[in-house]
Amino acid sequence: MATSVTTERAAPRVDRPEPAGRMSWRRVPGLAALMLGALLFLFPFYYMVVGALQREPNSDISGAFPNPANLTFANFADINAQVDLVRTLINSGIFTGGVLLATFFIGLLAGYALAQLDFRGRSVVFNTMLLILVLPFQLFMIPLYVLIVRTYGLADSYLGMILPFAVNATAVFIFRQFFLQLPRDLFDYARIDGASELMILRRIAIPLARPAIITAMIVTFIGPWNEFLWPFLITKQHDLQPLAVALANYISTVAARATNPFGSILAGAVVLAVPAVVVFVIFQRQFIESNLGSGVKG
Amino acid sequence: MAVVAAGHGGRMRRLFGRDPIGYAFVAPYVLFLAGLFAYPLLVALYISFFDYFFAAPGAHVARPFVGLDNYAAVLSDPVFQRSILNVAEFILINVPLTVLLSLVLASALNAKLPFRTFFRVAYYIPYVTASVAVIGVWLWLFSGGGLLNGVLGPLAPSPSWLVNDVLAMPVIALVVTWKQLGFYVILYLAALQNIPRELYEASEVDGAGVVRRFTAITVPGVRPVTTLVVILATIVGANLFTEPYLLTGGGGPNGASMSPVLLMYQQGIEQGHAGYAAAIGTVLAIVVMAISAFNRFVLERE
Amino acid sequence: MSRTWLRLSSIAAVLALLLAACVGDNGGGPAASGAAASGAPASGAAASGAPASGAAPSAAGAKGAIKIWYSNNAEEVTWGKAVVAAWNKDHPDEQVTGEEIPAGKTSEEVIGASITAGNTPCLIFNTSPAAVPQFEKQGGLVALDSFPDGASYIKDRSGALADQYKFTDGKYYQMPWKTNPVMIFYNKTIFAKAGLPTDNPPLKTYDEFLATAKTLVAKGGVQAAIWPSPSADFYQPWFDFYPLFIAQSGGKQLVEGGAPQFTSPDGLAVAAFWKSLYDGNLVPKEAYTGDSFADQKAAMAIVGPWAIAAYGTKVKWGAVPVPTKDGKDPKDIHTFSDEKSIGMYSSCKNLGTAWDFLKFSTSKDNDGQLLTLTGQMPMRTDVAATYPDYFKAHPEYTAFADQASRTVEVPSVPNSVEMWQTFRTAYSESVIFGKTPIDQAFKTAADKIKTLVSGN
Repeated sequence: MATSVTTERAAPRVDRPEPAGRMSWRRVPGLAALMLGALLFLFPFYYMVVGALQREPNSDISGAFPNPANLTFANFADINAQVDLVRTLINSGIFTGGVLLATFFIGLLAGYALAQLDFRGRSVVFNTMLLILVLPFQLFMIPLYVLIVRTYGLADSYLGMILPFAVNATAVFIFRQFFLQLPRDLFDYARIDGASELMILRRIAIPLARPAIITAMIVTFIGPWNEFLWPFLITKQHDLQPLAVALANYISTVAARATNPFGSILAGAVVLAVPAVVVFVIFQRQFIESNLGSGVKG
Repeated sequence: MAVVAAGHGGRMRRLFGRDPIGYAFVAPYVLFLAGLFAYPLLVALYISFFDYFFAAPGAHVARPFVGLDNYAAVLSDPVFQRSILNVAEFILINVPLTVLLSLVLASALNAKLPFRTFFRVAYYIPYVTASVAVIGVWLWLFSGGGLLNGVLGPLAPSPSWLVNDVLAMPVIALVVTWKQLGFYVILYLAALQNIPRELYEASEVDGAGVVRRFTAITVPGVRPVTTLVVILATIVGANLFTEPYLLTGGGGPNGASMSPVLLMYQQGIEQGHAGYAAAIGTVLAIVVMAISAFNRFVLERE
Repeated sequence: MSRTWLRLSSIAAVLALLLAACVGDNGGGPAASGAAASGAPASGAAASGAPASGAAPSAAGAKGAIKIWYSNNAEEVTWGKAVVAAWNKDHPDEQVTGEEIPAGKTSEEVIGASITAGNTPCLIFNTSPAAVPQFEKQGGLVALDSFPDGASYIKDRSGALADQYKFTDGKYYQMPWKTNPVMIFYNKTIFAKAGLPTDNPPLKTYDEFLATAKTLVAKGGVQAAIWPSPSADFYQPWFDFYPLFIAQSGGKQLVEGGAPQFTSPDGLAVAAFWKSLYDGNLVPKEAYTGDSFADQKAAMAIVGPWAIAAYGTKVKWGAVPVPTKDGKDPKDIHTFSDEKSIGMYSSCKNLGTAWDFLKFSTSKDNDGQLLTLTGQMPMRTDVAATYPDYFKAHPEYTAFADQASRTVEVPSVPNSVEMWQTFRTAYSESVIFGKTPIDQAFKTAADKIKTLVSGN
């Protein structure tokens, strides 16, 4: 689409095309569409929060715009009375933290190797990883449970909870795809200079892959954080159970008890969702340019 | 530019590839896979050839070998066939929509926008919220007396969305697309960080408009991630379980929203036919691997 | 840290594989079927519903610490903890540890997985009778008859109703524990609003019920006359078709003596009745998130007395027996028991203690505690007479105590879950969604079910 405009702009200009935050008329429709979309996306979450705050359940349309008199924290208090929020949050943290550590150390190495290192059998490993991703967990569940509980004897333990999730295959896949985006030249220069592979990984690859790592970590976080069935299988002891399990148990009994059963369920869901959102808000700031261009400048 | 691989001997190089240190790097992961998934995978494959069910240790039970009977039964089961069609329909709606929407959104959210953080969080939130809670909202929206039908009035379909043979699956596809979008948006966001800003600036200087910049720079620049998105979305679609389970309670009217994994769950875990369920899983895996291989072939061609 | 552990675990994995391949009776691994499947099964009955011999009760006398599971329903937890504490006080060498698991579908998954792994507790206090045949097939349950006073204790406590809980081989793999006879709850406020009598509402015959339902939807301000869940899970028939079928047929189960009963004129009448409710838009075809009766979206509910605790003061309710085609004397109406049993599992080491604790927890006193704390009926003969004080203090429960003597259970047959799923699919497509004629759908289902329950 280069037109005669070129001649007009031939002389390089100092100022950047779209300075930060400047609102030009061109942007308004796009921004409006974005805002509309955002509201649409937020609406169910908003409804969830509103529902959680209601004393009396109101499942009509008017429920979306509640009567302020009907708002209360009672549902949250209900949950807090039944579920030890602090303890379960800590358990969730340990479970998720363990998975994040394992994925970072083991998965990152593997992803890098699958993308940038050329060794025989590379595609076998990649395809096995893909196979694990493809197969639904329900297929593995019982033999995996038998393996972990009987062969490894890890019932009622954090390790038993962590192990099947330890290295998130999606994360490995993400690492691989991102490392594929990096040109091999980058690493070869370093190799010529005599750098060891490990040093290359640490000094060059990882800093460049920072957005990918953040992404993979955010993604890896969600799985164990929301996981109910596996930790519940592994242990019935309350002081080891993560929040998702405690909430699911609460939901299954709540109908008989709470003033607003559906509200209590929603309150539980809000409690579970908030830390995940907070983690995201903190880490999404990392999505700033890594300025790859300067990496290969001559 | 010619590259000299330092230090790797000739014969070893041919035998193990150029960078045998790769073995050391993948070793922990391979050990993890072997230690945890080898056994279950083998068991799953093995039991699919038997009239198998899991039993207590030490129990003397008969589990006769049935060869390919399970597979034959699976492939000729109309419920299974319907479930495969459902999943195909889902994938056809979900994957292109996901790729398009998430890339466009990611591009938009990558720019220096006012309220950028707010937007990013807004689009991400559905991904984080547990299905159980979100389902309630969607039921409220799509149920017979729900918001959507209220707005549509006489245009509302009857039977209503989720109990409608034809509409149930598309509704689920929409719900899941909405829910998963946040994940793909951040994947693309991350990928976009690796496209040098200079490329955009240069092309803008050349007079390229927004659309052209998008198709000429953005799309090719994120190609490996597009492969990732397509494959992941396909896998998620094929393994659909939670939404049909929660939204339409056990497969909808006449299996209109039955998914293969839901069927596997019903057969394997509720009814105890583990061998049959394993056969379903194997067939599903083969189908998905085939689709993924095809996708990779199309997308990763240099 | 992770590397060494992974190496160890991979070695362990390889060893595990080798072990599984070589050793015969590892139930969870492929080898067991290899050993058992070489040629035709040795004992001819093995392929059919004959019981798998679980742990032989050679440990029948063993005493020591045991673990039990009960549901995480708040009142049951209170009861459970009290009973365990009372036992532990008097039995320092036979300590009982109690853990909670959620009742419902997840619990069946969890129990099934535990059976395979061999780490089930000695007793599980919320075993669903429909799941018992499957657990038995897995070899996970202990036949209570193996205890010298096993069968007699059960019969003495539960009377004639105990027979429904025997398996096809005549043994008790479960002890019937508590029942929640299903009746029709109706909302007195809504009935009054619709101009219907609140003290003897016209809900006896199908015609009456239908007319009442129409009035309720038209004048009562409710979305539904009654709102049983229309979803396709295998257990839903227990709360729409089955109770009415039991009442109409005078106490028949879905399948009796290997023959499906629901294709009889009674069964078809029940199905036609429900269909008329769906056709008249008096019952929605979509599920409701939450409790429609408690939220006053439905004027009636078909449920057992456990729900009373949930309704509390929210709803002014009354309860009547389920309707029959031409009306019957309430004293002749049977209903579904919605019962939960106690199972003793084969991984138990100290079966002696387990049996003793089982008897202790179902003693007259502890059953009374259960009744007082949860309002659910222990499966005892003549509950009303055994606990007169309770019923004097809670007259609203008397109807249920009376109904409890006339309950019918799910058939204790092989492949029971699949049987119910098959039935539900047929019911769903013919009655709820009206895609196939009822007699055709039921006939197809009956043919399939006949094969299923014969154990093949």
